[in-house]
Amino acid sequence: MGRPTSSSSSIDSPNHFAFSSTASSQRDLTTDLRLGLSISIAPPFVREQWPPMKAAVAEEEHECNSSTFYVKVYMEGIPIGRKLDLLAHESYYDLIRTLEHMFHTNIIWAEAEMDRDHYEKYHVLTYEDKEGDWMMVGDVPWEMFLSAVRRLKISKC
Amino acid sequence: MQKEMAYSFPDEVLKHVFSFIQSDKDRNAVSLVCKSWYEIERWCRRKVFIGNCYAVSPRMVIRRFPEVRSIELKGKPHFADFNLVPDGWGGYVLQWIAEMAGAYPWLGEIRLKRMVVTDESLELIAKSFKNFKVLVLFSCEGFSTDGLAAIAASCKNLRELDLRESEVDDLSGHWLAQFPETCTSLVSLNISCLGSDEVSFSALERLVDRCPNLRSLQLNRAVTLDKIANILRRAPQLVDFGTGNYAAELQPDVFSNLAGAFSSCKELKSLSGFWDVVPAYLPALYSICPRLTSLNLSYATIQSPDLIKLVSHCPRLQRLLVLDYVEDSGLEELASSCKDLQELRVFPSDPFGVEPNVSLTEQGLVAVSLGCPKLQSVLYFCRRMSNAALVTIAQNCPNLTRFRLCIIEPKTPDYLTLDPLDAGFGAIVEHCKDLRRLSLSGLLTDHVFEYIGTYGKKLEMLSVAFAGDSDLGLHHVLSGCESLRKLEIRDCPFGDKALLANAAKLETMRSLWMSSCAMSFGACKLLGQKMPKLNVEVIDETEPPDSRPESYPVDKLYIYRSVAGPRFDMPPFLWSMDEAVKILH
Repeated sequence: MGRPTSSSSSIDSPNHFAFSSTASSQRDLTTDLRLGLSISIAPPFVREQWPPMKAAVAEEEHECNSSTFYVKVYMEGIPIGRKLDLLAHESYYDLIRTLEHMFHTNIIWAEAEMDRDHYEKYHVLTYEDKEGDWMMVGDVPWEMFLSAVRRLKISKC
Repeated sequence: MQKEMAYSFPDEVLKHVFSFIQSDKDRNAVSLVCKSWYEIERWCRRKVFIGNCYAVSPRMVIRRFPEVRSIELKGKPHFADFNLVPDGWGGYVLQWIAEMAGAYPWLGEIRLKRMVVTDESLELIAKSFKNFKVLVLFSCEGFSTDGLAAIAASCKNLRELDLRESEVDDLSGHWLAQFPETCTSLVSLNISCLGSDEVSFSALERLVDRCPNLRSLQLNRAVTLDKIANILRRAPQLVDFGTGNYAAELQPDVFSNLAGAFSSCKELKSLSGFWDVVPAYLPALYSICPRLTSLNLSYATIQSPDLIKLVSHCPRLQRLLVLDYVEDSGLEELASSCKDLQELRVFPSDPFGVEPNVSLTEQGLVAVSLGCPKLQSVLYFCRRMSNAALVTIAQNCPNLTRFRLCIIEPKTPDYLTLDPLDAGFGAIVEHCKDLRRLSLSGLLTDHVFEYIGTYGKKLEMLSVAFAGDSDLGLHHVLSGCESLRKLEIRDCPFGDKALLANAAKLETMRSLWMSSCAMSFGACKLLGQKMPKLNVEVIDETEPPDSRPESYPVDKLYIYRSVAGPRFDMPPFLWSMDEAVKILH
């Protein structure tokens, strides 16, 4: 048995990229972060997937190094929240892009423009701060937001 | 005469005999002897283990085993631990609880792993089972302290509440106060996963006070060092203890109080916790170290010299979990002090760093393999490895049953020769004839799989990442590993041919996970069509697989045998390849 001859495994076909790009983009991400470049090739949460360690052990370490900060994100109507690393993002724009990708919707926040005729396609993003109050995301500078946020909520318009 | 003998045992006698048969394998064998044994056995089976909650439906379990008292269920695939399974995948326990609430009023024990457990499920458990004794939620999620409050309040004879590694939504620390004053039955309480606001310490103290049978207690990180002595003095009978955070300014009276409290625990054999360790407080443990058989320091950010000192006091140690701060020097000390060592796990302190931050190499593991003849189970993260080291380890430890090696950088070759590590892992499978679990890493060609297929006859679980050259690799494993139950693969160039050629093999296994490989959508559909006893599920979070050509590879694939048919609760990013399912997402 040599290489499979079906079209799915020819060198030029997309699947050849599928596995090699995952490995190389993983490494590029690490190198680029070290060089301080901002990249947007792969979703920020690719980093969590290697090396194969349970989140608890990795997260504990990162709490010491302050290089990750996970918060839960809840979407209205779905009881189970998803986790998101805020420190993997550089700005509100970055965060919104990730959330829109994760939840397949358009997100309204302080700086967003909405098509009022299609409000059902939009969700509003709010966050719970340290005092337990729910605030619109984007009203304060990014760094201030990071120090205050406890969790995020995406609600229907 | 012989025929009469066979029918002359009353059912009661057979039932009594069967009650001594506890293992599932034996019970299953008993049930196959004849129809009447099948009937008697199914009525007296009290414990059921379901390794994949989607392999069978609650109704089917209840129909066959009407008098179950203890159930264990597993949900998400193992790779969910590493965030490879998207949120919302499934593994919901509610339907199971709802059906069992009606069918098993005497259900006493529920053990769940990687399942989604809501507060509603916990409230239903609390309401439905009057004799509820044991709740173990291992790596579960979806519930809050409200659900725990319901369990605490209603379960009058609760013996075990173990939440290890679960994700709990913090709403209030007062749930512990919901245990009534009359509850004195606790034997085991593990709340190590809870966050800061989730435990009322005074309620905890009172609970520990009134439970004289408490043997196992794991506190959470919020419990400070100065509180440990109070707890231990209330529970000197503890066998297994997990501290909270182990940090405080060094004060002589706090130290001597702590040391005294530990020394009063004459049965203490196992320790864990140790967040934020201040090394100066480690000597407080010295009085119990000679008895310790298990030590979990995987959160302890202490350096090698302190680890060496501690470990050298523990000659009876059988199990050690530690960060790579232990370094080769610490492992050499371990090898010379702890001759009873059976299990070693070394975790990376800086997994995402590119350069090594500690001096931990293959040498540490080689030293342990040489010094600890009883070594059976290894999980080791490191940054370099050689075939020579692996061969040495294999020869030193022929009794290994679990060997999981993670070389942090994918596709790292033998650092001495720059060869693939095929020969090294080959030696492991060849020498360790009882190997049941293996995880590969480093640069590996199809050859390693040839070794595994040839020698890994007892292998039950194999984890593969960034390895192999072609379908031949996968074919070796599927055709050679007779005992294989679970296979999980990521980022390998394995495509359609090996899988389709070995389709029947998949019915003999619990499950197969493949992500970022080269399996095409067309082949998945074919497999789903041809193998009705398999659930073939494609996961893609970006777009439906049928929006692309059939030859396009699928992102993630999960195949498992099932008698329950396709799932009813599929999320939008999951597609069943079952012929019978018309997908309308």
